Parts: sequence; structure tokens; C-alpha cells
Amino acid sequence: MFQLLEASKNAATMTVETMKGIFGGEISFKDTVAQMVEIGWRSVPIIILSSFFTGMVLVIQAGSATENLFNEPVYVGTITSFSLVMELAPVLTAIVIAGRVGAAITAELGAMKVTEQIDALYTLGANPIKFLAVPRFLACFCMLPILTVISNIIGVYSGMIAATNMWDISPATYWAEALDFMTIKTFLHGFIKSFFFALNIVIIACYQGFNTKGGAEGVGKATTSSVMFSMIAILIMDCFLTTLLIFFGIK
Amino acid sequence: MIKVENVHKQFGGKQVLCGVNFEVSEGESVAIIGGSGTGKSVLLKTMVGLIKLDSGSVKIDEVDIRKCSSLDLRATQKKIGYVFQEAALFDSLNVFENVAFGLKMLTSLTTNEIRQRTLQCLSMVGLENIENLKPSELSGGMKKRVGLARAIAYKPRYIFCDEPTTGLDPIMSNVIGNLIVNLKNCWGITSIVVTHDMKYVYKVANKVLMLCNGNIAFSGTPSEMDNTKNEYMKQFVERSKCGPIVKEKVEYNEQST
Repeated sequence: MFQLLEASKNAATMTVETMKGIFGGEISFKDTVAQMVEIGWRSVPIIILSSFFTGMVLVIQAGSATENLFNEPVYVGTITSFSLVMELAPVLTAIVIAGRVGAAITAELGAMKVTEQIDALYTLGANPIKFLAVPRFLACFCMLPILTVISNIIGVYSGMIAATNMWDISPATYWAEALDFMTIKTFLHGFIKSFFFALNIVIIACYQGFNTKGGAEGVGKATTSSVMFSMIAILIMDCFLTTLLIFFGIK
Repeated sequence: MIKVENVHKQFGGKQVLCGVNFEVSEGESVAIIGGSGTGKSVLLKTMVGLIKLDSGSVKIDEVDIRKCSSLDLRATQKKIGYVFQEAALFDSLNVFENVAFGLKMLTSLTTNEIRQRTLQCLSMVGLENIENLKPSELSGGMKKRVGLARAIAYKPRYIFCDEPTTGLDPIMSNVIGNLIVNLKNCWGITSIVVTHDMKYVYKVANKVLMLCNGNIAFSGTPSEMDNTKNEYMKQFVERSKCGPIVKEKVEYNEQST
């Protein structure tokens, strides 16, 4: 318990330092763009793939459930689009990014830590937080919401493919069901969450990386911890954020 | 001048440094020797602020690196070059970018001047035409020399080296020794070197500190080191199995098992 509090305090200090770097204008444009490509652009294929099948599965499940209840698949588009946009797309995208990007950030920073490259940065006058954490922080914060939007679009679109082929629902009916009840608040519900998930992933990944100890084994342990803590934190955070957003009428 | 006063550091209950005191004057070449695990690298890292002290102080040109402002710390960092035991080159940068890194961060040299200084430093450590290689393409010895070139590139006043000749062949070890002597003669760089290489100590150092039991067991010139009656130093110089160093290690091993 004491260790968890200590770690939280240190992670908060690191976050404050990172914020100081961002708002102090100490941002390397080149490094940030490179990280955006790494975190965002290179994650697009896996996000397309995961959300494509998630959308299809949702339609199959929704159709099957409503068919059992009402003898025909109804509101399949509505169920699919609301589930995806409000919940599944932000959460699944965050979990995929925690696995792909969070692990990569921790492994990279952890390897730099155990090979004394972070100490070397310090001796050469570069602040490791501003030099390494700031670009990753900004890139993750900007790219995760974009990936979430991509996931929304692909998921809902793949749902249409499943709906027409599996349940003989016409595309027009599907889109009408999917979009008729959708408001900007529905979209914002998931979109806002993705910013918090991004912060969660990048703070945990950087903290674990900067605090790696014990050579290659330590890097492995830090990477595992980073992914595990990120995923758990995303799910816990999702519960609180959903409650909070609904409380404020963003639903 | 560097002043190390009453430095204490412990890790997980094990006291590594207990009240270390010494001074390094301008232009001196100090060799820190001692058995493995006696805290030589820890001492070197505490001196540049990479490891926080439990108590005591390290003053570099009257600036206490533990208590100074970030502005003073940055100014002090410009005076320090550090050569890491495993070189610590940045994997993502090539050799040229590694050596030029400190120049970009700590100096206001133009791109052309940075290029010239980088190539000059690489040439000084006997490395030419490897600027575009990545650290993963270099041998251990080459990495170490690039690390040295990176540390001296911005002409620091003090250079801290953690075992600079370990892993180098005798010829290259000699080259590095000569280079550190030349750095002192030409650029007036003060060096503090952790080493096990006694040939290097005789060649380069004008002051030898021996670290034992978390404290300085001997301080003197290399000739004083040869004629000392200090049992720790005597055993170390004579490479004898019998003496206080081995006895302590055996006792420590017995306790830990």
C-alpha cells in the first residue's frame, strides 16, 4: 500500500514536470511528430482490424439477442452504434494502444534507463522528462482520440456489412437505426473518455520506463507491469468517467 | 576545485559510502581505485548528481550540486564530462549525432563548428569514418571511445570516467591514457577516473584515492602508493591474496550465506 502511494506520488511529480515542459514551450516538434507517427499512424492497421471484427460481432450478438426476444432482429444499428461510440471503441482502442504503444514506451525508456542512457542525457544537459516524456505525452494525447474516431467509423461500418449479410437488414435501415438517435453528446461521451485513457496509458508507461531496474529482466517486468496497470486503470477509470459523464448529461 | 565532504550513501540498508572526504584541485588527474563493489562508481555518480546523497556535500567550483538552483546546476553540468562504464550511447542516434549531442545542448556553436569539433574529437580517440554507424554496429571498445569523444566534445573543465580502459586492447588503452594526459596539458581538463587498470594509474594519475569500506583508505601520489605501509593499498598494489581486503570479502560472503 505504501509502495503504491509512493509510486502515485512519483508519477504525479513526473506528470507535473511533463506539464511544465509542455506549457513552458519546451517541445521538440520533430520528436513529437515522430512519436505521433509511431503511436498514431502505425497503430491504424491494428485499430482497423480490431474494430472491424468488434463491429461485426456486436451486430451478430445484437441481432441474435433481439431475434430471441422479438422474433426478428431489431434496433441492431442502434445497439451497435451506441455500444461502439460510447463504450467499446474508446475502451478497446485504449486497451490495444496500452498493449502496443504503452509496452513500447516502457520497453524503450526502460532499456535506456538500464543502459544509463537516461543518466547520459542528464550529464549532457538534457532534462530526460522534457526530452523523452513530453513528445510521447503529447503524441499519445493527440492520437488516441483520433484512433478512437477511426475505430467508431470502422466498427459501425463493419456492423453494416454483418447486418446486411447475416440478418438481411438493408444498409438504409441499418444507417437509419445507427444514426437517428445519435447526438453530438453521444459521440462526446466516448471521445472525452479517450483523452483520459491516453493520459492514463502514457503516464503509466513513462513512469514504469523511468523507474526500471535490473537489466533485461527488469525491462521485461516493467513492460508487463505497464500494460497490466494501464489496462486495469482504463477499466476502473471507464466506470468512474461513465458515471460522471452521465451525471453531467453527456450521454 | 571539487570538494567532497562527509558523503554518505546507502542502498537497502547496505552502507556503500560512509563519510567520504577529499578534494580535487584544478588540473589534477585523480584515480579512484578499490576492489569490486566498494562503491567507486557510486561515488563518481554522486559527485555529478546522478545519485542523490543521503548526507554530506559535493561542491564543484563552490556550487553545492545537492542544493543549487536549476540554473547553477545547468551551468555546472557544462563543466562536467562523464564517460560511462558501458558507454551509454544513445541507440537511436548515430555516432556523429551522439558526439554532437552535448555540443547542441550545452554550447552555442554553429552547425559547421559542431561538425568540425565532432570530427576532431572522434579523431582524437582514434575513430574516423564511422560517423554514420549506429552504436549497435560498434564493438565495445569503439563504443567506449565514442563515449569519451562525446564527453570531451564540449571541452568540459572536469571529466569523470568510469573505467575508461576496461574492455580495450593494450594499444587502445594506451591511446586513451595518452589522450587524458593531453586533455590535461592542452585543454587543462581535470580528470577523476575510476579504474582497476594499474598501468593507467601510473601513466595518468598524479593523485590516487583508494576506496575501502565506504571510505578513503589511502590518498597520495603514485610513488607514495608504491612505498606506502597502508595494508589495504599494499595488498592492492602487490595483488596479494592475503590481507585485509580479502579477509573482509570472505567475512562478508560468510555473513551473506
